[in-house]
Amino acid sequence: MNAAATPLLSVAPAAPDQVDWADKNYLVVDDFVGVRQLLRESLRSLGAKNIDQASSGGEAMGLLARVRYDVVLCDYNLGDGKNGQQVLEEARVRNLVNPSTVWLMVSAEKSVESVMGAAEHQPDAYLIKPITEGVLLTRLNRVWHKKQVFRLIDQAYAEKDYLRAAKLCDAQIETSRLHELDLLRMKAKLMEKSGQPAKAREVYERVLEQREYQWARAGLAKIRMANGEFEQARQSFQGVIAENRYYIDAYDQLALAYQHMGKLEESCAILERAAKLSPNSVPRQRNLGNIALKLGNVPMAEKAFRKCIEIGEYSIMKTPDAYFGLARVCGQRNDTKEALRLLLVAQREFGHEQPDIQLRAKITEGLVYHESGDYRRARKAGDDLEAMLEATAERPDVPTCLELATLLFAVGVKEAPVELLCYVIRNNHDNPLLLEDVEKIFDKARMKEEGLAMIHASKKEASNLMNQGVLLWKTGKLGEAVEWMRNARKAVPNNQRILFNAAQILVSTLQQQGYDETLSNEAHDILRHVDRLLPGQQRFAQLMEQLAQLQPVPASAEGADPRPG
Amino acid sequence: MLGNISRLAPMDDTPNSHELFLFLASTAHDMKNSISVLSGTLERLLVDASPQTESAYPQMAHMLYQTKRLNDNLMQLLALYKQVGKPEYPFDMQPIELGQLVDQVASIERVLLKSRAVELELDVDAALIWHLDEDLVVGVLSHAINNAIHYTCDKVRLAIRELDGWLELRVEDNGPGYPPALLKAGEIATRETAGGVNFLTNSAGLGLYFSSEVAKMHRHRGRHGRLALENGGKWGGGCFILRLP
Repeated sequence: MNAAATPLLSVAPAAPDQVDWADKNYLVVDDFVGVRQLLRESLRSLGAKNIDQASSGGEAMGLLARVRYDVVLCDYNLGDGKNGQQVLEEARVRNLVNPSTVWLMVSAEKSVESVMGAAEHQPDAYLIKPITEGVLLTRLNRVWHKKQVFRLIDQAYAEKDYLRAAKLCDAQIETSRLHELDLLRMKAKLMEKSGQPAKAREVYERVLEQREYQWARAGLAKIRMANGEFEQARQSFQGVIAENRYYIDAYDQLALAYQHMGKLEESCAILERAAKLSPNSVPRQRNLGNIALKLGNVPMAEKAFRKCIEIGEYSIMKTPDAYFGLARVCGQRNDTKEALRLLLVAQREFGHEQPDIQLRAKITEGLVYHESGDYRRARKAGDDLEAMLEATAERPDVPTCLELATLLFAVGVKEAPVELLCYVIRNNHDNPLLLEDVEKIFDKARMKEEGLAMIHASKKEASNLMNQGVLLWKTGKLGEAVEWMRNARKAVPNNQRILFNAAQILVSTLQQQGYDETLSNEAHDILRHVDRLLPGQQRFAQLMEQLAQLQPVPASAEGADPRPG
Repeated sequence: MLGNISRLAPMDDTPNSHELFLFLASTAHDMKNSISVLSGTLERLLVDASPQTESAYPQMAHMLYQTKRLNDNLMQLLALYKQVGKPEYPFDMQPIELGQLVDQVASIERVLLKSRAVELELDVDAALIWHLDEDLVVGVLSHAINNAIHYTCDKVRLAIRELDGWLELRVEDNGPGYPPALLKAGEIATRETAGGVNFLTNSAGLGLYFSSEVAKMHRHRGRHGRLALENGGKWGGGCFILRLP
């Protein structure tokens, strides 16, 4: 369309569903009163009536906790206290904003974070000051339309029905040219989440046929890395950085590739560069600290862990790992007193949200004593840990189990680590890499022969449990199979093969005997659990889709599906 | 990108120069806040006023023009000096609908154009989608229109079309055309092997340099964007032409 000689009128094609911005609830966050007033005036000229203001991150959190906003305009730099990104993260994690809420991040200049690509919590758009009404309106409308396009997809994604979400993406790509790339990006992510990297690769390649988008390049490299092609992945990530040295996610991934290749020095150097470009990331500083600690670079580890704690003060992403890491640093400097103080702080700060914090603090205490050469106190910590393990059937995650077993052997405790390693094997009987790790730990404890025998026995125990259940299922004894798998899960709660088979048997039962809410919920619980243990498995996606299809359709939801035909 | 600016900016790696640039960068941000408020307030006053009701209307219009120039310069400086002492910019390409691009530029210029009684003519394929850094291109186009307002008689034209696989964005005016010195500055600023711009003797240098750097950041299959200044176009006046691959 040619809009010659029609000055000052909108030339954008009139949207079929115009948004009424007048009735929305707005929050404006900026520490400069002049800017707040200006933004309020701009919003008023869009017809807005309900506009709240906050001059700091803390004040913004207070308002967000009380009011559901449709639009948040938040400055990135808010002086002391939380910054804009931390406000956004906390609002999302605490569910203080709706999925439909439009979050616009405002800054005086283009921020590095705006191109980093894969941050977990991205705003819907970044705006650079000065903000004028036309720019604001255009961006608001664009985000709103994008949210419309993605509404059902995001819903399916939240329900972890990745295959349905992918089909919805395909349908939208046909009709929504402006958002085609966003939809393709989502589709690729869904294919990865559902364990189909080959299909994700096709999507990325389709994007790159159009334009050289660094996120698609990085996506291909990530698939290579997952495939174990570390050298090719390394080259690709370096290529991405050469093209856009601000694409921060590529640095984090490159560091990971180096780690897989056993090149810790290189990995550490890359993380250090990334942390210089974008220092305010809790996970990045934590990773840098951990790797520096492994390399024995105590000053760098200390700097990273301190920075991690400093950022964490105002961030919902804060982690006890930084305190544990810093305690280890203190231990290596023979300052065990300060180390113990840090462990107490970590337990006080995180005790209410992380149930295994005491165990992890005790492990760190043992390591600190052991590394500082106080073997008597290290052994005492070992005995304490043994008592803690006896008091409960709960076990921490696999890396913590391995760390704990290693420590216990090192300080001279014998039975508890053996029990712990058998537990790990029973729950991961078909993971050859992990079996190797466990073998090494036994070997180091001079228990090679006994270790091998125990690994064998634990593997057999788990596979017997599973096979018996599968046999019952295959011979048509569904009720008995379901019951058998329930008991198997009690004996071995974190074995993915057993969990998947348990869910599979429940799905079969539903398919053959009709829908039953209790059984369906049981299957959902199992699948959610297995997805927490190891996300991104194809079998998870397939079973989730089958379960969703068994769900009786509520009458009101019919016809909401935009799929053509 | 922007590799040769280190020659333009006298700096070294001593701690003092680092602190100086840190200070300059934070001062620039602060000034930017002030200028946003200043130009916003002026725009609001001008929207509510007319030459008949307000005797200072022409002076206010001129103040707005000068404020916009200040803001442009600051925006460009901040983009060039994004990282302290490291003149690079986090380039952010996206598919953009041209109608939305033009809407933003037109709205940024609306009050200034009206206050100077200049008419903006748009000739755009609004539904066309192109891959570009929206903030940079909006910045370059509004800067070009600010300039055209200075050189025009009473009309400015923004024309965007696809031509042989390139996106051609033209800002034309119906004034007497750019003076030879500016055409020469444009030639130097957009030269392939950039010899740099003499910012000290040429006040138009920064804007041209910035625009041509923005052009060059847009790359696709071995081609990169280009900037050109010439006289001619629909009305024979000045033409600012940005071509993106």
